Amino acid sequence: MAKYIGLRLLQSVFVLFGLSLLIFFIARVVPGDPARQALGLLATQEQVERVREQMHLNDSFPVQYYYWLRSLLHGDLGVSSYTRRPVTTDLAQYLPATLELILFATLISFIFGQVTGVLAGYFRNSWFDGASRLVSYLGIATPAFVIAILLLFVFSQVLKLAPGIGRIPIMMQAPPARTGFMMIDGLLAGRPDVALTALKHLLLPAFSLSVIHIAQEGRITRTSIVETMQKDYITLHRVHGINTRRILFKYLLRPSIIPTVTVMGLDFAFLMSNAFLVETVYMWPGFSRYAMTAMLNKDLNAITAVVLVIGVTFALVNLIVDVIIMFLDPTVRLRQGGA
Amino acid sequence: MPNSSLLLEIRNLHVGFRIFEGHLRVLAGVALVVNEGERVGLVGETGCGKTTTVKSVLRVLPIPPARVAGGEILYRGRDVLRMHRHALHVLRRQELTAIFQDPLQSLNPVFTVGSQLRDIVRDSMRTPEGRALSRREIEARCIQALEETGMPDPDRIMSNYPIQLSGGMRQRVCIAEALSTTARLLLADEPTTNLDVTIQDQILRKLDRLVDQKGSSVLMITHSMGVVRDLTQRIYIMYAGSIVETGPTRQLLASPKHPYTQGLMASVPRLTGRGVSEGIPGRIPNYLEPPPGCRFHPRCPHRMPECSVEAPPMFDVGADQRAACYLYRRSSS
Repeated sequence: MAKYIGLRLLQSVFVLFGLSLLIFFIARVVPGDPARQALGLLATQEQVERVREQMHLNDSFPVQYYYWLRSLLHGDLGVSSYTRRPVTTDLAQYLPATLELILFATLISFIFGQVTGVLAGYFRNSWFDGASRLVSYLGIATPAFVIAILLLFVFSQVLKLAPGIGRIPIMMQAPPARTGFMMIDGLLAGRPDVALTALKHLLLPAFSLSVIHIAQEGRITRTSIVETMQKDYITLHRVHGINTRRILFKYLLRPSIIPTVTVMGLDFAFLMSNAFLVETVYMWPGFSRYAMTAMLNKDLNAITAVVLVIGVTFALVNLIVDVIIMFLDPTVRLRQGGA
Repeated sequence: MPNSSLLLEIRNLHVGFRIFEGHLRVLAGVALVVNEGERVGLVGETGCGKTTTVKSVLRVLPIPPARVAGGEILYRGRDVLRMHRHALHVLRRQELTAIFQDPLQSLNPVFTVGSQLRDIVRDSMRTPEGRALSRREIEARCIQALEETGMPDPDRIMSNYPIQLSGGMRQRVCIAEALSTTARLLLADEPTTNLDVTIQDQILRKLDRLVDQKGSSVLMITHSMGVVRDLTQRIYIMYAGSIVETGPTRQLLASPKHPYTQGLMASVPRLTGRGVSEGIPGRIPNYLEPPPGCRFHPRCPHRMPECSVEAPPMFDVGADQRAACYLYRRSSS
């Protein structure tokens, strides 16, 4: 098993290496002289030349790549031309906000998706199956930002059941950012009230983001439950008198959950870059919005960082998903020769 | 057999399947009996409804698309088809058990052999005083069940996943699962068809001995004449959803009366004698629009006008032997 995980880690390193090459290539191929951009129009040609030398821009591409990668590994991603701050500072501020949001959204979609999918599959062709199918299609067809606006209007404006925008109210003092996750920081600072407020603020945007995934994952789970229920081994479990509840929660659920876990991983990475509309609606100071702003302002260093973060997230999430599946499905584990 | 008591009786069972193209009328009045301690064979071509019959008895047919259109399945006099859920659970726990055709599909791939076997024993077995079994008793029963099938190193097998075992080993596990409890009636649906020929024989012999020891009754489904000859006392021949002939195994195989049975015997390949067997012309009918009357009449060399009008009832054709064919009408009355 350790061997398998090691192998997958090695694969991830290769993927990330490829990704870094790609990003480097994009960053260098874009027209314009980075030295000139850094110094501005008023700098003399001599100054530019000196900076070019400092930035190793006169060296060959492999040498340039080496220096670029070295500064990257030292956590130097340059300065954002839009925020005028080091990109890493920006990321430290915005990334945790989005991670908190989409982790929560993933959790919601997992719970709701599983429950509806399992029920719909187990009670196939029942009224619940029909209703969940209808709601799923609606959920898939409705863009997340529309749901975001609707929820904000109904629950915050009309019913006043939920707070509105942002991570915590402006008047409330944010706890010191240790993890960047407002809820955890609140708890760490001994302020459960802040944590609770942060949770309330999370609910609506996270739910808006998760609707489409609840729908998709629910459908996938339903299909695989239906498929698994038709297997001989489930029939035999029933014939052999195993408890109905045990069959459902143990023997049926585990083989059926595997396809959903794969999709969940992809969904998580997808949300990283696609949460910006919902973040905008809820004035969420998140990474996805930062990424969008960077692109609209041709903020090269920021764009590079954004692509890098998304790539690393993708690789990491896939690794985690593979390990989870390995635990769920012994056939994968045994075939990979890890046992 | 007047002194044996009735265990399972299927009466006039009709089962259909609703599919997109229409209604498949698969079982058309199946009737069969298994007595206490008796071993009965159910023989027929692929697609004749053997498996549907077994799944009806176990009540595991997917409904829909399947639909029981009529008939009764009496187990010790109680109708399985009309049983409440709880009674059905109790029946499956205490009385019925099954082995299916494909050992590769019969074990849950994501749990160890031990996990599945333990749950079966835990959920279906009780001590004579009605107490649940202790952890150690469960473990001992599982190991014993595996040992009884001739499985080497049962301790190790318990912690194996099905994928780590060969087809023959998996079928042994399936047999252990089926016979680990105190079930009285074993429904074996072609338990050796998907195995290597060399393994088939071993497994059958083992099954034979185990069933003997436990005194279970067996309904063995197969399309192999060799298997029924060795393992059963009485057989039913099935064609296109109904029983066409029944009788004591050896007697029936020695003198088949129904034209279909005769054709079936002629198509069994022999190791000695003339080359390829003749077989039966034509093929199993389409269940969407089965032929009226006797479903075999389009392929029958002896067909008569009345064959396509009404399905023939069973006529006595020998001691305990009966055939559903108008050829034997006179001998009946």
